[in-house]
Amino acid sequence: MDIRGLLLVNSGNTREEDLSFLASGPLGAVEVAGKTPLERMAERLQQFGILPAAAVVETAAFPARPGISTSGLNYVAAQPDRFWRAAENAFNEMVQNGAELVVLVRLGAYAEIDFEHLVQFHLDRGSRVSQVSHQGENLDIFCISASRRNDAASLFRSQLSRCRSECPLMEHAGYVNHLSSARDLRQFAIDILTHQTQTCPAGEAIKPGVWVERTAIVEKGARILAPAFVGALARVRTGAVITRCSSVEHHAQVDCGSVVENSSVLPYCYVGAGLDLAHSVAGMRQVANLRRDVTVEIPDPKLIDLISATSGKKFLTSAAELLTYLPRVAWGGFTGSKQPQPDLNAALRKTSPALGNTAGYEAPACDTEAAHKFPNMVVARRYGHQ
Amino acid sequence: MDINSRPVVVKRMPERLNSRTAREFFRDVQAFLHADRPQLVLDLSQVVQLDAAGVEMLLRCMSEAHKRDGDVKLASLSDQSAVVLELTRTERLFEIYETSTDAARSFSGFLPNAMRQQLLHNKRPAAPVAA
Repeated sequence: MDIRGLLLVNSGNTREEDLSFLASGPLGAVEVAGKTPLERMAERLQQFGILPAAAVVETAAFPARPGISTSGLNYVAAQPDRFWRAAENAFNEMVQNGAELVVLVRLGAYAEIDFEHLVQFHLDRGSRVSQVSHQGENLDIFCISASRRNDAASLFRSQLSRCRSECPLMEHAGYVNHLSSARDLRQFAIDILTHQTQTCPAGEAIKPGVWVERTAIVEKGARILAPAFVGALARVRTGAVITRCSSVEHHAQVDCGSVVENSSVLPYCYVGAGLDLAHSVAGMRQVANLRRDVTVEIPDPKLIDLISATSGKKFLTSAAELLTYLPRVAWGGFTGSKQPQPDLNAALRKTSPALGNTAGYEAPACDTEAAHKFPNMVVARRYGHQ
Repeated sequence: MDINSRPVVVKRMPERLNSRTAREFFRDVQAFLHADRPQLVLDLSQVVQLDAAGVEMLLRCMSEAHKRDGDVKLASLSDQSAVVLELTRTERLFEIYETSTDAARSFSGFLPNAMRQQLLHNKRPAAPVAA
């Protein structure tokens, strides 16, 4: 039987205050522990033998990363006002190519559905459209008989809110994350890193509970405490600490001495030196603090910044670094000054360099009493257990 | 010693605290900070944008106050300022209060016992005359 998957990603079910986070795409297209929920869902469809999958995504900017696996997905970028028309066209194209059943998933919620069970449920009832529900709430996951194009058209035109015919519900008891806010995004990262989900973090497990992508740069003196994830081409600089289910996504950078605790650093986000990012989601020059339940803009690039994704600017920066490298080394050789290796404990205790040398005040990252008692301890968090 | 001669100054911070406004604000409060044992409460309820220069200015105020045996306390932190202070690890350096009134009141709470007794004695209403 020819069963195909159609994945839809738009920002229709995202809370208004979190929309600012989504300048680069809806939450379904934001990477969590190395892969987007969209990629994870496509992989899941593949595991159940549903091939090939097409994805209609509400932004022209996606998929943005060359060279990163996109799970064999055929992407269709659609403008917000043309999104549902594009979805309907993708469905019709699948039908013309011989599909008998189409599994339609809108992210929205990430749910670990047993698709074999869903297809069997659909066939057993002989229905035109079947839907998945979870704890009495309908999820935007459907199984549609390809021959029933009018039912499908009605479904798309009502933005998946109305079925033309009777639509039996299959109750799903497994994992569901609604992915409707920054809190959900954070919870999704925690669930992946603590194996609450069947999907795993991307990258290589360099030690139990620590996943680091092959192209990530973790500098000497940086600490990554399990469970944690560091994405492709991300950089964790010396003295930084990544801990408690934190994920640093691709191209993100955590500068010297910063502590990232129970937080997600979204792609292309720069976290300044000597900061304490805790219980937060940082990205797009914003921080969503989950304890305070507030999203604030950080206009100061010394604190939180957006790293340029364009290769031209990066190339110029690297070229300038390269050109000045030899003179700098030669000058160092002449003057006899050598780069001191920063002391981790000192880096963690000192005030953020972003603040300047004001009055010699120190804002320690670690509990000073404990640090004096145990001088070899790397970091003693105020509210930590390490 | 006249304890009532040391007023608690409450200053409301501007909406945006960048390097320029921080400099201006510091110039404003400098007069208070140069007094003997200054007691300053900074109300951050209006702050919608706080950057590193703003945090540096707060630390500078604190430094100046401590030099003269005074103190600076923060009150009514807005979400923005609370997140930035937490992010820069500076929230633990200040005493932070829900309201400016609480912050102002807290200054008298740290007076030595003898001075507090004197203050209470001065404020106590006159005893009613017996009939």
